Amino acid sequence: MNLRIVSANLVVSIKCFYREKTAMFFTTMFPILLILVFGTIFMDDDKLNFNLCLQDLDQTETSAEIAKSLADTGKFKITRIDPAIEATKYAKDNKVNLVLVIPKDYEKSYTQYLQFDDFNAFVTLRYVYDPSSSSVIDKMQILNMVFAKVNQGLTARPPFIRTAEVSIHTRKYRFIEFFVPGIIAMAIMTESLFGTVHLNTELRQKGIIRKLATTPITRVDWILSNIVYKFILAAVSTTLMLLVSYAVFNVKLNINAWLPLFIVLDVFTFVGIGMILTRLVKEAQSAAAAANAIMFPMMFLSGSFFPLEIMPGFLQAFAKVLPLYYLNEGLRAAMVFHDNVTALGYAAIIGAFAAIVFILGITVTRWEEGK
Amino acid sequence: MTKDTEYAIEVENLTKRYGKVPAVNDISFNVRKGEVFALLGPNGAGKTTTVEIIETIRRPTSGKVRLLGMDTAKKKHDIVPCIGVLPQGFSSFDRITVRETMQYYSRLFGCRNVDIDELIALVNLRDKAKEQYTTLSGGLKQRLGIAIALVNNPEVVFLDEPTTGLDPRARREVWDVLLGLKKKGKTVFLTTHYMEEAELLADTVAIISNGKTIAMGSPAELIESNADYLILTLQSVDEKAMEVVDKMGFETDNNNSGTIQVRVAHSDDIRKILNAMKDAGASFLSMDVRKPNLEQVFLKLTGEALDEGANGGKGAK
Repeated sequence: MNLRIVSANLVVSIKCFYREKTAMFFTTMFPILLILVFGTIFMDDDKLNFNLCLQDLDQTETSAEIAKSLADTGKFKITRIDPAIEATKYAKDNKVNLVLVIPKDYEKSYTQYLQFDDFNAFVTLRYVYDPSSSSVIDKMQILNMVFAKVNQGLTARPPFIRTAEVSIHTRKYRFIEFFVPGIIAMAIMTESLFGTVHLNTELRQKGIIRKLATTPITRVDWILSNIVYKFILAAVSTTLMLLVSYAVFNVKLNINAWLPLFIVLDVFTFVGIGMILTRLVKEAQSAAAAANAIMFPMMFLSGSFFPLEIMPGFLQAFAKVLPLYYLNEGLRAAMVFHDNVTALGYAAIIGAFAAIVFILGITVTRWEEGK
Repeated sequence: MTKDTEYAIEVENLTKRYGKVPAVNDISFNVRKGEVFALLGPNGAGKTTTVEIIETIRRPTSGKVRLLGMDTAKKKHDIVPCIGVLPQGFSSFDRITVRETMQYYSRLFGCRNVDIDELIALVNLRDKAKEQYTTLSGGLKQRLGIAIALVNNPEVVFLDEPTTGLDPRARREVWDVLLGLKKKGKTVFLTTHYMEEAELLADTVAIISNGKTIAMGSPAELIESNADYLILTLQSVDEKAMEVVDKMGFETDNNNSGTIQVRVAHSDDIRKILNAMKDAGASFLSMDVRKPNLEQVFLKLTGEALDEGANGGKGAK
């Protein structure tokens, strides 16, 4: 190992990266864009705001109370529909997925129920809805909850069964806080795996490796300088992601020694896999395709974007053989839940895996062409 | 360590097989210190395999190769600082400038005293020193490759097809640089399939075909020993002139658009042809007599080698 050679290689790699603006954009900005897009979509589940079309056929003070209590929940932005219009036609024509219809005689039935204690008196509110819409079920559930509360208020007796929510975490976490560590692990994977495969196959195809083989640089110098280069990129990209998620979404994650450790393990794992791939696939284009074939299923199946709970059981079991799963969960344990024991467990598993693939990667990397 | 021998490179019974296919088949030659040695051969003859074995990139199947007295199979570490290589199809990092590329390679070799500007000037790239590699034309890229090959002030310089793919003007510019190296007294090992290049630059030429050396010597010696005839070229000849030559039974190389090339054994034959033409009243505009060049020798030798291979089944394809 020669530090002069390693640093010369590092300088060239960094200059190439800095001058290749497209590559620089995709390496640093793409994960940030993902954070911004997903962060905005799931900004705050508590502040979900639905559009609700309301048709009041009764047009009385009592029916207006219903509209008011719906507006008071803060979950609906109410649009009133002219009582003269047919609700089904309106929903179809305006591509509205739900129209809540308050029937005529609402006030009359209400008065009969309350003043005359006529418990047989009732009123039916109609949901005119489009079953093909994915969000309509949520809307109807929220409406049902609102009306259950109104019904219960009318009986003037406090409910016997109540519920209380107890989170298993000491405080309530937002989606974006789970999301950011997943994107950090994914971004480092992409840069390490794709970067290694791209660099090695391209330089081999262009004949630069053949030229380097006639200089004093050794295989160890070459691999070491690539690893250090990937650490630098990973550190810069992680810092940017943390800063943007803090500035835009006020995401405060626990930054401790686990973060650099998992970054190191992430880099070693995927540079190792990249070296093995480079050995197996000679052409630059096929190598890129092979790298994508490994990365894409891993992104979606190891819980980077979506919680694993929503996936079928066999896919959840499959996730546990994917290295990215241990990096995602390890980073979350360390950065979100402050759970050192769990983080240590995941670090041990991915550390062992990284050691195996990296050593294998070094062994199969050929410096000289042919024997 | 460098042994004080007359030869910079010694190749003894070198064989390299890929599977069962021999790329280089039992070849031997020596390269003297300070000479320009050209390895000539058609595509696929085994030139690059041979040069890459000498450069320590590949290992031989059998035979011995010594560079400055050191065994190339065992002393890579000691040999690499003594050689400069322009590999076939040389390429470099796209976004790195000419100057930065030179600095990079000089750092790889740990050369502190190298004058990068002088090397850039040597290959006439001073105006392009701040240009990125990707913006250079083919000829400029090759010249940068030659400058890189000199960055460690090597004792032996290997240039594997340095002008392949270049236009005639760019090729001449590269030749100027190589003539400069020759003047400096560097040992240069050149592989090429351009005869003109070998004739202009080389002190010694070895011709290989199908992995075997079929001739070796200075360009003049090769021509002398393989071409015992003269070529008479007559331009703008009329039909009578053609009839005269045909009747006299001389071998003609080609004749098109009024030009005849006649192979003659002695200068007396030329006089005979001219007299016969005079007698027959034939006419021509101009004439030229010269010895064959290396290209004709090469075509003759490699053609024979290919024929032999095809007839005798000696592995030629």
